[in-house]
Amino acid sequence: MSKGLHRFAVLVACATFFLIIAGANVTSHDAGLATSDWPLSNGSLFPKMVGNLFWEHGHRMVATGVGLLTIVLAISLQARERRAWVKRLGWTALAGVVAQGLLGGLTVKMNLPLAVSAAHATLAQLFFLITVSLAVFTSRGWREQEASIAEDGGPSIRSLGVIALVAILAQLVLGATLRHSATWDQDLPTSLLLAHLGGALIVTLILGFTIMSVLLRYRAEKYLAKPALIAAVLLCAQLGLGLAAYITRVRSPYDPQPLTPMVAVTVAHVACGALVFATTIVLTLRAFRVLRTDGKEYALAAA
Amino acid sequence: MLSKHARLWLGLIAIVSLMSLASSCGNKGGDDETKDGETEAGKAYTAKGNEGTISGVISYTGTAPEGKKIDTAADAACTAKSPNLMTEEWTVKDGKVANTYVYIKEGTLADGTKVTAYSTWPGTPAAATLDQNGCHYKPHVMGVVVNQAITITNSDPTTHNIHFTPKNNPDWNQSQPNGAGPLTHKLARAEVLIPVKCNQHPWMKSYVAVSKHPFFAVSAEDGSFTIKGVPPGKYTVVAWHEGGANGTEKTMEVTVPASGAGKADFAFGATAMGQPSSLPMMPAIEFPMAGMRH
Repeated sequence: MSKGLHRFAVLVACATFFLIIAGANVTSHDAGLATSDWPLSNGSLFPKMVGNLFWEHGHRMVATGVGLLTIVLAISLQARERRAWVKRLGWTALAGVVAQGLLGGLTVKMNLPLAVSAAHATLAQLFFLITVSLAVFTSRGWREQEASIAEDGGPSIRSLGVIALVAILAQLVLGATLRHSATWDQDLPTSLLLAHLGGALIVTLILGFTIMSVLLRYRAEKYLAKPALIAAVLLCAQLGLGLAAYITRVRSPYDPQPLTPMVAVTVAHVACGALVFATTIVLTLRAFRVLRTDGKEYALAAA
Repeated sequence: MLSKHARLWLGLIAIVSLMSLASSCGNKGGDDETKDGETEAGKAYTAKGNEGTISGVISYTGTAPEGKKIDTAADAACTAKSPNLMTEEWTVKDGKVANTYVYIKEGTLADGTKVTAYSTWPGTPAAATLDQNGCHYKPHVMGVVVNQAITITNSDPTTHNIHFTPKNNPDWNQSQPNGAGPLTHKLARAEVLIPVKCNQHPWMKSYVAVSKHPFFAVSAEDGSFTIKGVPPGKYTVVAWHEGGANGTEKTMEVTVPASGAGKADFAFGATAMGQPSSLPMMPAIEFPMAGMRH
């Protein structure tokens, strides 16, 4: 396995993050049905990208790029990676991006039914989870680190990380459902809004406790402390962006069209949510890598 | 055979996908089946020669909100054709309001028959046209009867997509390139009012009302409207005007004498604009520092 493969895995993860931003722009601009065609746009592979077609077709082009990158990554892993489970994860990523593309097409052809649109947004985060994981698994740090740090008396960091990941993912699902349940010119449904608000509280408590536990118990271990600190900053930013997104969004039905402040803040909220998720993935995987309980190494670390 | 970890990933994906589906099921249009969209056949009304009219004027009390300039920079063809495009949410001239949809919601004819008992009325118009011209819809508000053909034309040098977003009828979205022939669409269920938008140019919006009878009108620039051919009887007349997420309704009881005229003047005002006086945070929470912006 080479440094180049890891760098390529990081590139795929970054491209996926950019794709999430592009997708968030489609939703915030209400551009999902700017063309009734799929996979072509207005019957063309390269339509005139005016109006909201810029966002919708741009999203499709970025998605195509990510799909091609994922194919290359899966093949590269198959050829150059020794660990069979990493190879399989590469193929899982490819299956994920194909399924994601089909869901995207389905939601256009069905005129954006909430269930399909929310599933499309959710699978995007799961695909991001896989690409970030692959970037971690192919890193030099992962290969060189050993399960050398004993988990001391407090709650298991590994368990806390998994719980935080599940909570963040559930919150991302809620957020995606909320965003797709009302276009910019409609009021957000109160029940979903309250659920998303409650989710934010739960994520803050769980992730905050996880971060505090890492920083208090493993402050000297940069391999763990660094993602924990980044997660803390991102979590604070995300809470602020959430409030700002709500304030700009609540006025939106009275605007003549989706305006830049609402779109920019909302997209930033989606992007920051993805970054919180990615950082927590890194923190959790690293905890599984270096922390040991009863002298046992977690199976993922096996070469 | 999949490894333990591959199964873990796949299981996680399946669980979250199910969560997503479960959390979103039944939110769109699921409770609309029993609203006023019944399509069962009723009686045919035969004109008796003593029909009357309902007429009136829609006015605005207080200072009318000004239209907002629309930024059409996203499509140069729109900017070229409509350099000064304004919103049409409130078209008010000398205190009179255009684009208000007025209709008979319910009522009883002089012979005691409910107006909803009839499904066929004389004088139903044959066609209605919705044009995309200058990157906005003409007309802005229109009414049709159930299953009336709506002809949709594109007079612009750019591609539009016309997207009906009803609650009681199927969602409908079609792209219409410049130079393409007209599209036709019919709506099978009564619904007041269906937002129609162009996802390509998100400022484009119009409203189409679908009624089971022809007793509706849209107020003209001078605020006036007339509903013709109304059988003598007592009716609940509603004036609907757009604004915010759901629009605003005013209701009035109107009696139409034989061969006579019923009067129905409606007034909208600052409190009926559909714009909150302060930013609503939650149903019971107000956020007073962020006041009206427009």
